Amino acid sequence: MTRALLKKQMLEVFSWLYRDRKSGKIRSKGSIALYALLYLFLFGMLASVFFSAATMLCEPLVQSGLTWLYFALMGLISIALGAFGSVFNTYSSLYQAKDNDLLLSMPIPTRAILLARLTGVYALGLMYELIVMLPTLLVYYLAGSPSPLSVVLSLLLPPLLSVVVLTLSCVLGWVVALISSRLRRKNAAIVALSLAFLAAYFYLYGRAYEMLQGILADAQAVSEGIRTALYPLYLMGKGAQGSILAMLGFAAIVLALFGVVYLLLSRSFLRLTFSSRTAARVRARKTGSLKAGSVSGALLRKELRRFLGSSVYMLNCGLGVVMMPVAAVALLLKADAVRNMLSILPGAEGFLPLIAAAGVCALISMVDLTAASVSLEGKTLWLVQSLPVTGWQVLRAKVQLHLLLTLPPVLLLCICTAIALRLLPLQAMLLFCIAAGFALFSALFGLALNLRLPVMHWTNETVPVKQSASVLLSLFGAWAAVGVLCILYATLQNFVNPEIFLLLAASLLGLSALALYGWIKKYGARRFADL
Amino acid sequence: MLRIEHLTKSFGEKKAVDDLSLHILPGEIYGFIGHNGAGKTTTIKACCGIQRQDSGEIYIDGISMREDPLACKAKLAYIPDNPDLYEFMTGIQYLSFIADIFGVSTADRKARIARYGDAFELTDDLPQSIAGYSHGMKQKLAIISALLHAPRLIVMDEPFVGLDPKASHLLKEIMRQICDEGGAIFFSTHVLEVAERLCDKVAIIKSGRLIRSGSMEEVKGDASLETVFLEMEAEQ
Repeated sequence: MTRALLKKQMLEVFSWLYRDRKSGKIRSKGSIALYALLYLFLFGMLASVFFSAATMLCEPLVQSGLTWLYFALMGLISIALGAFGSVFNTYSSLYQAKDNDLLLSMPIPTRAILLARLTGVYALGLMYELIVMLPTLLVYYLAGSPSPLSVVLSLLLPPLLSVVVLTLSCVLGWVVALISSRLRRKNAAIVALSLAFLAAYFYLYGRAYEMLQGILADAQAVSEGIRTALYPLYLMGKGAQGSILAMLGFAAIVLALFGVVYLLLSRSFLRLTFSSRTAARVRARKTGSLKAGSVSGALLRKELRRFLGSSVYMLNCGLGVVMMPVAAVALLLKADAVRNMLSILPGAEGFLPLIAAAGVCALISMVDLTAASVSLEGKTLWLVQSLPVTGWQVLRAKVQLHLLLTLPPVLLLCICTAIALRLLPLQAMLLFCIAAGFALFSALFGLALNLRLPVMHWTNETVPVKQSASVLLSLFGAWAAVGVLCILYATLQNFVNPEIFLLLAASLLGLSALALYGWIKKYGARRFADL
Repeated sequence: MLRIEHLTKSFGEKKAVDDLSLHILPGEIYGFIGHNGAGKTTTIKACCGIQRQDSGEIYIDGISMREDPLACKAKLAYIPDNPDLYEFMTGIQYLSFIADIFGVSTADRKARIARYGDAFELTDDLPQSIAGYSHGMKQKLAIISALLHAPRLIVMDEPFVGLDPKASHLLKEIMRQICDEGGAIFFSTHVLEVAERLCDKVAIIKSGRLIRSGSMEEVKGDASLETVFLEMEAEQ
């Protein structure tokens, strides 16, 4: 029975790879290989960031005789990334899975269901954690001159650290479930909690280089501190360095902690599973107005309610909406520091508007609402298909919501950027033109991608929002568009001044958006009707 | 009211509906029966413009679904077998959304929501999130939303599944009332006793092909609809 449950869970976890999410059919081998390559590429890009950090730390620490500290630090980073990446997945996988009813109606012990669900979370945590640990081990094997025993023992780190990630995710997921079962505005609470996580993450990320330098400069004191305060990490490092006893000690602590958390979770699993569903029921809301409205208004309100009704959607696809005002305020507060930093670049004064435009566009690319909006129709697609509205009307509402949420913060960010960088009025206007053009382009680009790569069969919102190809491609595609514009400027810089280039770029984005608009209106709406 | 002419729809190699023709007149309750996978839902979805047919025509009140799907959809209401509704809305928000789409006036929507909400005993639950509704409550909400714009034709796929006896009875009364006022009902069901008592006409489909249709008396004769259906299933 447990084997069957585990098999089901693994099929669900890896369905993104082998199953076509539009038709629900198994993909061809060639298609699976292509998808695997795409994800490997993305994995490699992220891992390269941590490869640099590992390279920076490994040699000095190994040479100072503090190999264990290298593993402890990289292990900490991997735990943080893994827990951050899988905490909300833990919540939705454990407590909001749509097949909970089915499984609970079968003669399966609750603990077995929980174990199977946790295996899925473990697999996802392992994927996140390997982004850090693979480069960590690779750098160590290349630059650390490890003994054969150290190589063997260090290979135990990824699976063991994933248990730590799983334990942390379970605790945090449990906190999220507890919050959502008791609070009225659970989505707002979850978003606030996530933003707090994110703020901490960005703070640490922003100071990463400085912190790594600090650690290297004062490695002995740091090692003493970690050894005293976080002894299991010391054991982990010593274990990876070649101490069997230390590795056994670390494994025992990790497994014991997980065992305790598993026992506690299994006690509250049923209660939280039911309360996460019934909470919506006991919360009576106001009846609200029944005043007649327009069709376009109704469709737009529907999209807005979907956005506000899903913390997963808000966090993963609407993060830029919050980040832009934060960046705007930060720019104003740190205007002098930013100007000083930019003045280091030779001739920076001349292409300040371009730097500003690239930065603003990078932030805009963090809003990819349309890239998941078609997939999120899921099983309710029949509704809009059976109503007397055209596919285009439905799609237009999705674009409208994207722009409605994106353009006000874009305007604020552009104004603050212009003030902070002391741009001329013309430059500021051009900055807003290109930013608005980019927002429109990314809204239409995301929608077109989602129409080409819809994910209609899902049991959990995280699948279309976090794990779909359209969202990934939309994000990277928007970055690529920024990159292409930068390359274009590098090519044309001898012929056009930055202001003219901004005008050209805005026109180019406008034309691209127009082409996408035409495609969506003519072919996309038909695809939507045929889904 | 609903005319289906030579409807054919395939999924890959399999013909889900094969050259099916039916004519539902105003005032008729038309039952559509067949075994699982016979092609009932595919036919119903094509009638509502959710699924495009490979060939054949569907007319709603004389308008071609292929040529003017919006005009057709404005005249009909569809109730699916499994009412997956917008769980991010409350019941009242959902009804308001549907009323906006169909252009129902403020006064009409208020009156109809009050009337059907009370009749189906859902009024108190309307301010709650649909996510907290039971299957039966969702089914009731889907039915109320279908009645909001006073459609001329209602197409239903297994409408009685999940409804309590009182709601089932009420739905049957409403169906009859709509037909008495010149509307029409086309619905699929596996409950042959209900079909026998409720329908003016019935069509039996097997493996995508229509095997019999006509008035209830013509189809079943002196036997029960169940006996006739089982005999036909065995014969074909």
